[in-house]
Amino acid sequence: MSAKSVPLLRLRGITKRFGTVTALDEISFDLEAGEIHTLLGENGAGKSTLIKILGGIHQPDQGEIWLEQNQITLRNVADADRQKIRLIHQELSLAPNLSVAENIFLGREPVSLGILRRSQMNRQAEDLIAQLDLSEINDVTALVSDLSTAQQQLVEIARTLSQEARILILDEPTSSLSEVEVDALFKTLRQLREQGVGIIYISHRMEEITRLSDRITVLRDGKSVGTAKTNEIETGTLIQWMVGRDIKEHFPRPPYRPGEVALKVSELSNSQVHDISFEVRYGEVLGLSGLVGAGRTELARALFGIDRIQSGTIQIDGKPTQIQSPRDALQQGLVLVPEDRKRQGLVNDQSVAFNITLPWLKDWINGCVFHYGVRNAIVERTISRFGVRLSGAEQPVRDLSGGNQQKVLVGRWMEQPPKILILDEPTRGIDVGAREDMYRIIGGLVEQGMALILISSDLDEVLNISHKVGTFREGRLTRIYEAQNVSAEQVMQQLTEGAASESR
Amino acid sequence: MKVVKQMVPLLVAIIILLLLFRIWVPTFLSPENMLNLTQQISVNTILAFGMTLVILIGGIDLSVGAMVALVGTTTVFCLSALSGDSQNLFLVLISILAGLGVAAVFGTFHGIAASKTAMPPFIITLASMLIARGCALRFNSGLPMPIEEQQTFFLAIGNGRLFDVIPIPVVIMLTLFFLMALLLHRTRFGQHVYALGGNREAALYTGIPVVRVEILVYLLCSLMAGVAGMIHTAQLYSAEPGSGEMFELTAIAAVVVGGTSFTGGRGTMFGTLIGAVIIGILDKGLNQAGVHYSLQYIVKGAVILIAVYLDVRRNR
Repeated sequence: MSAKSVPLLRLRGITKRFGTVTALDEISFDLEAGEIHTLLGENGAGKSTLIKILGGIHQPDQGEIWLEQNQITLRNVADADRQKIRLIHQELSLAPNLSVAENIFLGREPVSLGILRRSQMNRQAEDLIAQLDLSEINDVTALVSDLSTAQQQLVEIARTLSQEARILILDEPTSSLSEVEVDALFKTLRQLREQGVGIIYISHRMEEITRLSDRITVLRDGKSVGTAKTNEIETGTLIQWMVGRDIKEHFPRPPYRPGEVALKVSELSNSQVHDISFEVRYGEVLGLSGLVGAGRTELARALFGIDRIQSGTIQIDGKPTQIQSPRDALQQGLVLVPEDRKRQGLVNDQSVAFNITLPWLKDWINGCVFHYGVRNAIVERTISRFGVRLSGAEQPVRDLSGGNQQKVLVGRWMEQPPKILILDEPTRGIDVGAREDMYRIIGGLVEQGMALILISSDLDEVLNISHKVGTFREGRLTRIYEAQNVSAEQVMQQLTEGAASESR
Repeated sequence: MKVVKQMVPLLVAIIILLLLFRIWVPTFLSPENMLNLTQQISVNTILAFGMTLVILIGGIDLSVGAMVALVGTTTVFCLSALSGDSQNLFLVLISILAGLGVAAVFGTFHGIAASKTAMPPFIITLASMLIARGCALRFNSGLPMPIEEQQTFFLAIGNGRLFDVIPIPVVIMLTLFFLMALLLHRTRFGQHVYALGGNREAALYTGIPVVRVEILVYLLCSLMAGVAGMIHTAQLYSAEPGSGEMFELTAIAAVVVGGTSFTGGRGTMFGTLIGAVIIGILDKGLNQAGVHYSLQYIVKGAVILIAVYLDVRRNR
């Protein structure tokens, strides 16, 4: 065999067990130089374990890793680093107390005579960000803690791309990025491909995958189901490979039977949102679209009583209301399911049952008496209503997959359904099957007459699930469309108009 | 039942320690010695009950040692100022309430400062530790304030025995254990504490009154310090403005040895009770075995390290 025909990376028979669970079962996988190769699979299929093995975080129990002609062992992260295998994690690993530039050059700071060359470092960081076209980051001296999640993700990407890479691995890098940022990232990835870097890409977004990748390998239950060239395989087949059954990825829009106005917001302003006016009816889904940081989440927080409102009014059922805290909001029948499951949603170390029953303590704890019957009934109902998959209700909630955690978070409120439900990024980072479940749940709630506000960065999702779509830009609600009469391009233009004219 | 299972290693440790000290000190396991032991640990154990709540919500209270002194001096000051030569049960009660009232003011302040401002609890309670200590030293020019002998009721709090057998401090300790365990494990408030300690943000989004819970936790911790202060003062037969030094650290040690996570969200009252017993056995055992006090410190430090290391390892 000539050197040329050997792939950049070959995995042969990789097996990894955690206790009795086999996370990876005899996986073989090839990556060519100058190729973008997507790993596809539902949560728990083994993608994360596989890339953690390549990153030196886990060691395989069996199997071989070949880098071109040489068999290698990756005992730790430093080994992977030495081989120029770069991993961008799903979870952020930045130091929030340091600046953007300091994070990018962490551990490789430019120094002379042991003194940090800060201005040089900042200049290099600026060059890098300009080169990567990351217009969202405009100040390299800003603290990372002051950035939005999306901006932090971009910093993480910039940090990795600032180092020379042979193999680049990205684990759902776009989960909180807007379309503009995704475009910029893809441009960079294509450039790296031209330079001969092998790229392993993990995402749940089918549209992205078909746009970006050369080949796709599907994992299911720790096994490799198949590898195909992107232009030779249909989306339906891929999904079938992933889930092992035939489902089409589609967005079932709930039937539109609008009732009375549930929530009416007039000229609402605070430090982050300005002059917001809109209304939502019972039985209606209002989608809110916008770049990350455009004010959608900020509006939700203000409505839910977390952030102060400076001016404007909120009416529920036509009656003006004062919402000063989440407790007030809940009493008024308004629920917000926050965007960050781990940080804002769940008490991670506690059980599924604990998390489900937390809003309903009044119903099952009476003084010092625990009514376990009532508690278990609440848990049972929630689990069965939403099809939460788990081994037991006393299992820690952190052990559930993202999709099931999301079902717990949404499902627990349905014990006493709210009038108005705000879902902030309800399908972020969850797999196709759980996504479909979530859409079914949304559909069911709307049919029962709930008023729903859906915040999502996934344009297809917002346009297809909602009845009306509001576009956010720079803290303002710029337009509200009838979802059926608007195209993704029109909305995209509305979202980015400001950004484009600014950069001009 | 899982909770009980987690306690098994600690219970085994207690038995081993008891048998070990029995080898060095033949009378160690005698009923009278054991009763003395329980009496001696009561102050620290009561402090640790309050500290458990605070640590469970991810906070800390460094002021409890100084609070012991301040509550003691306040109460004894009232006692002698009000009652003079004779003993009046009503006035004793008023004095005790005055002491607890001072503790309540501090506790409420800690809670409000911790929940409404961005000041870390460590710093808040460090500052009020100094303030409380200073206040205690204002009484009687900082000199000990002896309790009049006729104050038999107040002195009984620290030295009396129920049915001439069980020390009153132990009765108080066990009653408080029962109440605090009930509060933590069998009420809505207890669930709120675990939610707040596990994920404050999530608790807020779930509609839990986080501010109210936090204030109540710090208030309870200070009140426990108040009760401990009464017992300690009565046991000394005088209010010592300089007493209670380092008590906060021993209480924290009992809490963490008992398996409460220092970052909050995980732990039990029973664990704290066990932790306090272990530290108490070590204290008494090493003392009676005649180990030099310099070595006692080293052994206690090592035991705390080992206990917490084993606990951390068990929980990943």
